Amino acid sequence: MRLLTRFLSQIGSEYRPDEIWKSNNLRFTDPIEPVFPKDKIVYNGYYIGQNKKWFQPSSLLLQKLGAEDGTRKAYIGREAAWLFVVGRDVFEDNVQAFTENVELGNYCLVMFGTDCIGYGRYETSGKLKVIKNIFDLGDFLRRE
Amino acid sequence: MISMGREDFIELYESLGSSVTGDEVTPKAIRVNPLKTVDQELVDILADQDVELEKIPFLDHGYKIVSSPFSLGASIEYLLGYYSLQETASQLPVQMLSPSSEDRVLDMAAAPGGKTTQIAAYMGNQGSVTAIDINRRRLFALENQVERTGVKNTIVYNLDALELPDEPLFTKVLLDAPCSGNYVTDGRWFDNRTKSHIKSNSLMQRRLIAKAINLLEKGGTLLYSTCSLEPEENELNVQWMLENYDMKIQDIDCPGTPALTNVFLDELDASVSKCRRLWPNDVGSQGFFIAKAVKQ
Repeated sequence: MRLLTRFLSQIGSEYRPDEIWKSNNLRFTDPIEPVFPKDKIVYNGYYIGQNKKWFQPSSLLLQKLGAEDGTRKAYIGREAAWLFVVGRDVFEDNVQAFTENVELGNYCLVMFGTDCIGYGRYETSGKLKVIKNIFDLGDFLRRE
Repeated sequence: MISMGREDFIELYESLGSSVTGDEVTPKAIRVNPLKTVDQELVDILADQDVELEKIPFLDHGYKIVSSPFSLGASIEYLLGYYSLQETASQLPVQMLSPSSEDRVLDMAAAPGGKTTQIAAYMGNQGSVTAIDINRRRLFALENQVERTGVKNTIVYNLDALELPDEPLFTKVLLDAPCSGNYVTDGRWFDNRTKSHIKSNSLMQRRLIAKAINLLEKGGTLLYSTCSLEPEENELNVQWMLENYDMKIQDIDCPGTPALTNVFLDELDASVSKCRRLWPNDVGSQGFFIAKAVKQ
């Protein structure tokens, strides 16, 4: 819960799931009542992410946070979005808009329209300002 | 081991009333995910990127990929779960099962998860889907699909379906059974299949059918499907089910050909014709078989 809470705070979210169901390092909420042996469950209900050295949010959680007022967001267009989901950072010039609560050094969601495609940290890189890619949805392709 | 070559299989299919050539192909297709978007919105977004889609008339959310300048398995909209890549015929079993938000559905051989996510979409992420597969490695793909497509009502077990308890826990069961496959999706199919493989698959499928029926509550629905063209895995298994269990075959509004009722000189129950067989030259899909039955 500590890593999840830290991630949610960093992104400016007030969401705190009531109940956390665990399977190894995976974290779920709203689990389905099991009817077969619990030790054989590998996935259950609303997947929110997994604990690594940091909390890696699920796509489901990112969409929820993207729809939440108050979270820190940066909006980008299709070309920058494509580069982001293949693991690249976003140059500040390619950010169409930030929400007012984003300052240098903050973590923020990276939005493509109304969809969240990952998150990163708004920081300086040499003379440039960038959103450093921390996690993006291209992870689905890299997993497979 | 009885060896059969391409010509033998084609001759067999001809004797069953088909005019397939063995050279049929199936176009690539997608299924729009109504949990994430609506069909026209996605069609328009992809059209803006020069992707041409064509609605498949008998599918609720299925589109043939006419042309695309990039791989549709690696677009932003794919990563966002707006659609899945799913072959035409394989979209039919869940559509025929038609699960609703009130159901408790068991997907018995669920990996890699295309049909599991389709079930959840029909249920509007309500009710519950229990997905089982014996192969842990294939379940990783299922977990990714479930997450990507925004599914929240599913519990996944790494279990052998044959070891499940005989308790009537579910209102609907999808048994898209492991099978011999067909030549449309496997270029070496004719070289790799023998009658003994088919017989062995048929016996396994009967054990799975028996288990599925035991897990269904009275009045519950079993949807049995395979991507095999072999009567041993299809009509003869349905006949075996009717002879051994109190099940009633249901009509389905499905393309294809009425299933065979006379196979290898055996006269089958007339209701078997309510099942559907999709020959690869029927609607431009891979080979498929679909049966829907209700537990009495």
